[in-house]
Amino acid sequence: MIKNQKYIFLYALLLTIVVFNLGIFMGYMLEASRVGKINTFYLNAEMQLLDQITQKGALEVLDLNCDLLVEENIKFGDNIFQEALQIQKYEEANRINSEIIFQHKRFDLLRTLFWINSITIKQKCNSQYHNVVYFYKYNEPSLEQESKQRFFSNLLREIKEKRGDQVMLIPIAADNDLPSINLLVEKYGINELPVILIDEKTKVTEIKSMEELEKYLV
Amino acid sequence: MKLLPIIYLGYMFVSIFFLFLYLLLFMNNKKTLFDSPKTRKKYKVSVLIPAYNEKDTIKETINAVFGIDYPLKEVIIINDGSTDNTKKIVGELLKKYPKLKLINKKNTGKGDSLNRGIEIAKGELFVVVDADSYPAKDSFKKLVGFFDNEKVGAATCIFIPRNNKTFFEKLQDVEYHVIAFTRKLLGYVDAIYVTPGPLAMYRKSVLEEIGGFDSKNMTEDIEIAWRLTKAGYRREMCLDTYATTTVPKKFKPWYRQRRRWNMGGLQCILKYKKDFFKRGMLGFFILPFFTLQLFLGLVGLSIFFYLLIRRIISNYLLITYSIPVGVPILTMDSVFVTPSFLNYLGIILFVAGFVFTILILSVMKSGVLKRQSMFNFLAYFLIYLSTYPFIMITAIYNFIKKNYTWG
Repeated sequence: MIKNQKYIFLYALLLTIVVFNLGIFMGYMLEASRVGKINTFYLNAEMQLLDQITQKGALEVLDLNCDLLVEENIKFGDNIFQEALQIQKYEEANRINSEIIFQHKRFDLLRTLFWINSITIKQKCNSQYHNVVYFYKYNEPSLEQESKQRFFSNLLREIKEKRGDQVMLIPIAADNDLPSINLLVEKYGINELPVILIDEKTKVTEIKSMEELEKYLV
Repeated sequence: MKLLPIIYLGYMFVSIFFLFLYLLLFMNNKKTLFDSPKTRKKYKVSVLIPAYNEKDTIKETINAVFGIDYPLKEVIIINDGSTDNTKKIVGELLKKYPKLKLINKKNTGKGDSLNRGIEIAKGELFVVVDADSYPAKDSFKKLVGFFDNEKVGAATCIFIPRNNKTFFEKLQDVEYHVIAFTRKLLGYVDAIYVTPGPLAMYRKSVLEEIGGFDSKNMTEDIEIAWRLTKAGYRREMCLDTYATTTVPKKFKPWYRQRRRWNMGGLQCILKYKKDFFKRGMLGFFILPFFTLQLFLGLVGLSIFFYLLIRRIISNYLLITYSIPVGVPILTMDSVFVTPSFLNYLGIILFVAGFVFTILILSVMKSGVLKRQSMFNFLAYFLIYLSTYPFIMITAIYNFIKKNYTWG
């Protein structure tokens, strides 16, 4: 029983501060657990990629089975594509924990390394799969870019579902100020985002029909 | 952290604060919620009924007032220039009720009518009753006891919609009970900010001291409560009695009524702006409370429209990109959204508010909970309350345009 009723304002404020901070803390914990999951994804992906790079290195000095390497590469490509979708969901729901941004950058670097590795494997093994690198704007895209990125994302998902192993889909944020990605962006003359780079040759920024895109994937 | 989550958190902080404030007030005072002080004094009570075109309800209101189990000094009808049969109907009742008095005047508004009534009222206390409201038999007896405390300037009670058959009326029934209960709780910290028109009892000497009702204000019942607060007089709320009142049956009159309430609130904020954070509950609670409501409503609505317009444009662009290419607009991924912690907090807060509302309605004696369904409560929470900021916007617009029509 609070004798002086006016103190109720103070008690209510104190309780609010406690509950509010508890809510923020719980929120932080939720986001931290999601960052933890992303980190686990990353560690697994990193290990798989290291394995790929080791296999590629071995291929250069030893006479190894190329088919197995390509198969592993495609499987890994599929995994990081699925993980990218999950990470995107976590990012969209992220509100207070900024660590997720660093995780995103780490993944961008990992995917870039995967892309480079994929180029080499394709050349060494004379494979038929297509490297489809999707460069998008991560930091504050305009409304138009945001809509276009939603469209590109849906489109690439359709292509991936349709063509499966023939397509190595690698999404990379192009504006996270990472020197290695900046170099590649410069090398391929990427001036606007989003853009789809197919087999390191063709840049697609406008898509009028599905066929138009598919002709690059023949 | 981006701006929008900060704003959402700000809203949550305010909501949690008010939830705790009401909860603590409830827990601290649950034994006395329905108390009405007994009095040994015999107060002389006058009744003032301002009427403007009230031919449909005035007779029943007068009958209800004369049916009250408290001796009345007089009942004064102030006919505010009615153009219908109000004057005739009251005239016919003058013979039946010798204590009934009729004043006819030009249409100058409710506040001015009440001031005319105060001038001639002989009671130590006077009760303002709207011409479409019907006080319960025991209402005056339950209210007079509060005036034994010399610092009490006004007392009021619960209002129950007389018409509560339709869905829309039922939502107002919920609203009136929630307002009544929270008003009672605020009474414990001397923060009652309105002594509503359907039934409010005033100490005549106090009203004379503070200069009567503000005839220029669209909600003279809010303004007088603020002035009483500023002058250091208490406003009391009784949950142990009630008056029934006619609530708008259709959207348009309801909207006009609410717009008027909001405009009156704005008039009060402007009138008392110099009292912000000055000593007393007016400066430290009532004024900030009203202003915060206004601010949160405006910001909330601006964010709502910003997000809505952004979403419409974004979806339009997505459609224009997707359809010619034959790419699906909706994917399973876009249907299953990963909730943010703000979503979880929002749901917890909504459930807490909902449960608290059900709790307070369950202790009300009028049986409001039995009259309502769960669907009505959800509609009240999700739809009815969401209309408040929209009405506020139109009220601000009309206020700026100085369109002070009654409705």
